[in-house]
Amino acid sequence: MIATAIHRAALAALCLAAPPATAFSETSDADQRREAILALTPDAEYGAYLSSECTACHAEEGGDIPLIHGQDREALIDALLGYKTGTRSHDVMETIAGRLGDEEIAALAAYFSEVN
Amino acid sequence: MRFNRRGFIGAASAGIGLLAAPMVRAQGVANVVVIGGGAGGATAARYIAKDGGDRVRVTLIEPSRAYYTCFFSNLYLGGLREFDSLGHSYGTLASMGVNVVHDWAVGVDRDAKTVSLAGGASLPYDRLVISPGIDFKEGAIPGWDLSAQNAMPHAYRAGSQTELLKAQVMAMREGGTFAIIAPPNPYRCPPGPYERVSMVAHTLREINPTAKILIVDPKESYSKQALFEDGWQAHYPGMIERIGPDFGANIVSVDPAAMTIDIDGQVEQVDVCNVIPAQMAGRIVHEAGLTEGDWAPVNPADMSSRVDPNVFILGDAANQGDMPKSAFAANSQAKVCANAVLGALTGSRVFPARYSNTCWSLIDTEDGVKVGATYEPTEEKIASVDSFVSEQGESPEVRAETYRESLGWYDAITEDMFG
Ligand SMILES: Cc1cc2nc3c(=O)[nH]c(=O)nc-3n(C[C@H](O)[C@H](O)[C@H](O)COP(=O)(O)OP(=O)(O)OC[C@H]3O[C@@H](n4cnc5c(N)ncnc54)[C@H](O)[C@@H]3O)c2cc1C
Repeated sequence: MIATAIHRAALAALCLAAPPATAFSETSDADQRREAILALTPDAEYGAYLSSECTACHAEEGGDIPLIHGQDREALIDALLGYKTGTRSHDVMETIAGRLGDEEIAALAAYFSEVN
Repeated sequence: MRFNRRGFIGAASAGIGLLAAPMVRAQGVANVVVIGGGAGGATAARYIAKDGGDRVRVTLIEPSRAYYTCFFSNLYLGGLREFDSLGHSYGTLASMGVNVVHDWAVGVDRDAKTVSLAGGASLPYDRLVISPGIDFKEGAIPGWDLSAQNAMPHAYRAGSQTELLKAQVMAMREGGTFAIIAPPNPYRCPPGPYERVSMVAHTLREINPTAKILIVDPKESYSKQALFEDGWQAHYPGMIERIGPDFGANIVSVDPAAMTIDIDGQVEQVDVCNVIPAQMAGRIVHEAGLTEGDWAPVNPADMSSRVDPNVFILGDAANQGDMPKSAFAANSQAKVCANAVLGALTGSRVFPARYSNTCWSLIDTEDGVKVGATYEPTEEKIASVDSFVSEQGESPEVRAETYRESLGWYDAITEDMFG
């Protein structure tokens, strides 16, 4: 199951790697950052490793803590960036997202959007 | 990067300097033995089996057929959780291919790389993971030893001890005294004794409102102290008293037959006495010669022993630095260890360690608080890099949300450990 997810994440990465992250003259910093992350090729194995920090609290079926498995990739990026930059607030998530760089956010969003 | 055997030999003979492919590749399947099926050991076994596939054989040694979590056992004392809900079996791990052996590990021969079991078997390993939790230091509280644990339970390893303590609280005479002797640092679950006080108070308020709680504490201060004290004053006014080291609580002995506590010469008669003695790494780690003092020193980068690189020590038993001895921490360390073990045995990619922890505590129904941090390895220790703690005076809505979050955490982390 995991192997399939990684494979699919890798495929998704290939498809998404194409458009260059340039010329967003009208967009805000946050949008630019988001586009830059979307333009990265997510590292599927790294994503799988990083995901184990999340699964300490986020169950596969969701519940009292929000469901992240199988969620939309861009929504996951927005959420992580939001906690990182302070536009979303949650003490646990701010410390966790605080140390995620663009590579990590790209890898995690790809992983959780593909896994089910 | 992975090589199959033929590829590796071919490449090497062609003279391309292709790094050291792990030795075990030549031998076939690698053996990982995990001692202890608790928070750290179950997680490590699950991740190594899940990610190692058929390249590793994982054997988990654990005497109990079901693991009862210490975490949330205080909620059972508070009447907010059924005892059965704390129990987890090893069936899912077994169905993933983990060889679960219900026995005690009694010795480790680190030269021969074997673990001997009480039942007589000897198991070879390429890498050994040990997560045995705590044992109590002998003579820590004069008058108390394990033979006194029925009269004065510790309930600090969950199971029949937890049920016994609950039964004693329920049967306490009207207006009686529940005493708790808290341990000195470092110990398992820093907020644990104080969450326990809160949950016992919660039960007593319902069934025995004139009862008293006496905390005998050798420490000057403790985890989330201001939050607990605010909560006790708000929810259980007049019920809880704490004696600290300034009044002799560091010089304590007990008489389990008489049900008395001697606090630096002053004798208190009590009705229930929860003794939580000073702690050390589980005995098998001492037996294996991996300790310095009470705990086993580990390398912050991957939780390997500083004494033997083929052995990894997780959870409460490890001396690692700033992480508390918690189930969350043991689970976090186990995943870093699993990645390192698989890297060494199969050549899979090894990523930088990332550790984190959050400890939730419940003060009253829906009054939850938390403390947490992220950590990074340095040369010297696992060091805290960023942290948070609940604030005093938060709204009931925030506290209720924190409590709900802890319920979600329990479900997720036990799934992450036991599958
Ligand atoms: C009252 C209380 C409340 C707590 N609340 C929380 C909380 O809310 N959150 C949190 O994160 N943590 C909490 N904890 C702490 C948590 O329970 C421990 O930190 C955690 O269990 C440590 O994991 P471990 O793997 O080191 O040891 P354990 O989980 O204790 O597992 C050790 C296992 O090893 C086995 N074992 C020991 N010796 C041998 C041997 N020789 N051979 C084979 N098997 C052996 C034991 O049977 C046991 O199953 C609490 C603890 C207590 C007491």
